Order: sequence, then C-alpha cells, then structure tokens
Amino acid sequence: MTERARPSSWHVAIAGLLVGAGGVLLGLQVDADGRFSGTGLTTLGIGALLALVASFAQVRASGLPRDAIGAFALVAAFLGFAFVVAGALAPGGPWMFFEVFLLFAFVASRRRTSDSGGRGIGGATLVALGLMLLFRLWVSYQGSEHRWQVLSLGIPVLSWLPFEFLDPIKRVSLGSFTPLELGFPPAGLSFAVSMTMWAVGFCLAAGGIALAQSGAIEHENDRIHDLIQTLPPTLARLVERLLPEDEWQALGLHGLSERRLMKRIEALASARLQRQREIQSMFQASATPALPPAGGFAGEIWQALSKASAEGSGR
Amino acid sequence: MIEADAGSRGRTGLWTVVALGCALFAASIGVRAIAPARATLPKDRVEERPHIAEPMQLLSRGAQLRAAELDRWVSEPQRPGFRAARQTVFALSACPPLVEWIDGAEGQPVERLIASLRAGSREDALASLTLVFRIARACEWAPGIVARRADHAERLGGLLQDWLRVWGEKSAKDPLLADPALAAAVLYGRAMRTAFKAPLLSNNRAPHERAVAFLGELTGISSGRRTDFGEALRARYARAAEKLAGGSDPLIGLEEEAASLFPDLDGSCP
Repeated sequence: MTERARPSSWHVAIAGLLVGAGGVLLGLQVDADGRFSGTGLTTLGIGALLALVASFAQVRASGLPRDAIGAFALVAAFLGFAFVVAGALAPGGPWMFFEVFLLFAFVASRRRTSDSGGRGIGGATLVALGLMLLFRLWVSYQGSEHRWQVLSLGIPVLSWLPFEFLDPIKRVSLGSFTPLELGFPPAGLSFAVSMTMWAVGFCLAAGGIALAQSGAIEHENDRIHDLIQTLPPTLARLVERLLPEDEWQALGLHGLSERRLMKRIEALASARLQRQREIQSMFQASATPALPPAGGFAGEIWQALSKASAEGSGR
Repeated sequence: MIEADAGSRGRTGLWTVVALGCALFAASIGVRAIAPARATLPKDRVEERPHIAEPMQLLSRGAQLRAAELDRWVSEPQRPGFRAARQTVFALSACPPLVEWIDGAEGQPVERLIASLRAGSREDALASLTLVFRIARACEWAPGIVARRADHAERLGGLLQDWLRVWGEKSAKDPLLADPALAAAVLYGRAMRTAFKAPLLSNNRAPHERAVAFLGELTGISSGRRTDFGEALRARYARAAEKLAGGSDPLIGLEEEAASLFPDLDGSCP
C-alpha cells in the first residue's frame, strides 16, 4: 500500500513555493523604461549570513532534519530569511551597514530572550524586517523622485521668509545617499511597479517562512506519532498521555534518529510514570486524620485534589 | 486499490511541488544577477526609414540654416503653405509685438497653418513647432518696461499649449519629437511665467494657474499617476519637475531651464 502525503508535507512544499516566488519578486526591479533587472547579490550575501545564524539556532533547538521534507523545510526557511533580509536592507552604502548592525543586534537580543517559541525566525524578527522594508521603500521613493536624502527639514524662521536668494540655506538635508548606493538602474527606477513587487515578495517570503517552520514542526510530530503508533494500541495511548504532543519539541524529541528517539521516549515515559506514582503515593499519605477544615484555601485545595483523584480512579 | 492510486498521485503531486519550489529557489537567486539595461533616450533609437536628424537644431537660433529642409518632409497638401509661411517668419527682422503681428495680414495665415500642421503627421508637427519657435524669436513678447502687457506672452503660451495638448504625450517616446516636446514645455513655462509677472505691482494669476493646471494634467502630477511625458520631463529636467509638483512657484523651474536652454528666447528679440 502506498502511503498518502501528509498535510504537513504539503504545508512544507507550499511554503517552498511561497518562498521561491517571494524571492523572485524581491530579486527584481523595473526601470523607467519598463525593463527588468536584478537587485544584486550583495544584500543576498548579507541575508544568507544572517539566515545561517538563524538556521544554526533552529538546528540547535530542533535538531537536524531526518528526511527530505524536513531538509526542504530547513532550506526554505533559510532561503526565505535570506530573501527577506536582502529585500529589506538598503541596497548599499552606509545605510545598508547601519541596518545590518541593527539587525545583528536585534537577532542577538532575541536569541537571549528566545521569544521565537522554538522557531529560528520569530514574529518579532519579521516585524523588525518589515519596518526595515518600509525604510527601504521610503529611500527608494525619495530616490525615484530625485531627492537624494532621507529627510529635508525646513529651518524655522529662515524657511518662512519669501526671499529666493535664501533658498540654499532654507532647508537642511538628513541622511543623504546616491543612486549608486540604492542600486538604481541607469534609466531610473519605476517606483510604483518595483514597490508593489517588493511588498508582495516580502509578504510571500515571510508567509513562506512561517509556513515552513510550522510545517516542519508538524512533520516531526507526525514522525514521532508514527513511531509511537507501532506500539500496541493501549500502550501507545498511555505513552501519548504521559508525553503530550505539544511538549514533544520542548522535550527534545525533534530531530532525533529513530533509535535515539525510542530510547528517549522510553526514558521520558518511565520518568513521568515514576513521578506520577510518587505524586499518587504522596497524596495517599497525606490523607491522614489531620485533615484540613472545610473552607479556606487549604480546604479548597484538598477538595479539588480529592475530586481529581476520584475522577482518575473512576476512569 | 483506489486508495493506493490516490496515495501514489498525492505523493507524485507533492514531489512535483517540491521540485517546482527548488526551481523557484534557483530562479530567485539567478534573477538577482540580471544586469540593468543602459538608459536609452527616445532619440537614441535609430529609425529604419529616412528621418530628420537632430530636430532640436530646427528650434535653435540657427534654425534658418535648416528650415528649408523641412519642405520635403511636410505632407504634400501643406507643403506650399509651409514654404510661404517659412519664408515669411524667417524673413521677420523688425521685432514686431507678437499679438499685433499674428493678428495682422502676415500672421493670420501663419497661425492657420500652424493649426493645420499640428493636426498632421509627426513631421508636420515638428514643422509647426519650428514656426512657433521662430515667431517666439522674431517677435517681442516680453511685457515691456512701461506697458507691462501680458497678452503677448499669453498668446505665445497659447500656441505652445495647443501644440503640447496634441503632441505632448504622444511625443514622449518618439525619437523625432521627444526633445522638441520637452523644449516646448520649457518655453511654455517661461512664457506663462512672464505673463504672470507682467503687472508692475501685482501678479497676473489667470495665465499662471491655467499653465499649472495644464502642465499638471499633461505630466500626470495632478492625478497622481505620472504620464510618459511627465516621466520624460522628470528624467531630463528633474528640478523643473520637482518644482512643478510641489513648489510654491511651480513654473520657476521651467523658466530656469528655458533660460539655460534658450538664453536668446526671452521675448525681447536680442
């Protein structure tokens, strides 16, 4: 009998499509004559470097992939992060290095607080990258309008005076850049089309990353579930009750080889059963004549535990 | 059996999608290396058929050296009229006031011909614009030190506006008319700003607002969707386009460009 493809595998495959399509859109720009050109490989190199750091973190948390779908999910997440970073960074010059510095600092701080719930690339990182994309779109817009600075501020009082000869000193430019730094094509950038492509590409790649990571987790859970299901049905139910599915990644079951996975499940099931017994015996030992009086915090706790114990015995 | 077939199809479909994803990964890296095409202006495109070389010479101070060349390019029905009008305007030497001359016996047929040529072929359109530029050089349209009349400049602006309305957008990517159309817009801005500044103590707002509204429509600035002509203006005269889009004095950029491009076209027959 041929085994059917699981939904988690489909999630990973579709995530690959999303990341690929997003990468294509983020890698292209349209010039003023409507011709396509590439956005360059420099930022992709920096994106790949950051993606490598994120992938290492993911491998440390979840282990190496154990089959082709798992490997594809890892590659999709790696490339997706590289594309998203490359798309969000300013294409060159001091602004790009400033953003890279910020991003490294951000990724390092997120790793310390480990907010990503076992995933290499968390929502907060994607939000930070989204903000960087907005900045890139802004400087690209300024450049497409032939304004080569991030902001131009009017100097109070001077800028209010209606004298043309004061024009050169009425405004001060902040954050200047050049067409070369922005990687504009020689004919100039068609901002509307390029912006749409980049924004759609970013959304596709970010969605692909999220889907690839959740698909990979689900795929690993499926593998562990399959292994547990090789046990006799009652024993399999007991093991799954002792080791609930939503704890499998936290318990370090993801990414283990089949032999090590069996050993780990055996050890964990044994430890949990032992603990269960200890709790049960402690509960029975506490049922002494010195029962707490009804009502109050102690009484309420005692009643809740007795009720839970009775329900457990009934089952 | 049916379930096995469905499973097999499902796995084949899955691996097809994975393969497609791998192909997209490769494409997404490959497209980044596509080199940008070099910038080409409309005039850089070589036309297969015979064409008028360097059309901007026909709008410059030395236009009289080549104006006769246009006779063979103008469409057959307009040719005799154009030859006569050309001889008339290139023979002008006394620097008459523009409105008086164009409303006079010599000017009326020329004005009619300019309108007819405007409705013809692209070569006819260039011939029409050549006549307008020659009139702008040979007639006085500056407001004058004492009279401060705005109507001469407004009339010149009217001729240019009519031409731009018909040919402005069409010419943006035309190798023959792209540069002449931008030159017409630049001179139009100067003429209308001259009319705006004509009164001694105040400003003549009507021609100024008319010009800003027209140029806003022609370039697409007013609708927020830039036209091909607007893109061409921005690429060639960035400061003028920026001033037009948001400056407190929208026509000043065009006037500055006109002063640089055609220093002799100031309305005073130098």
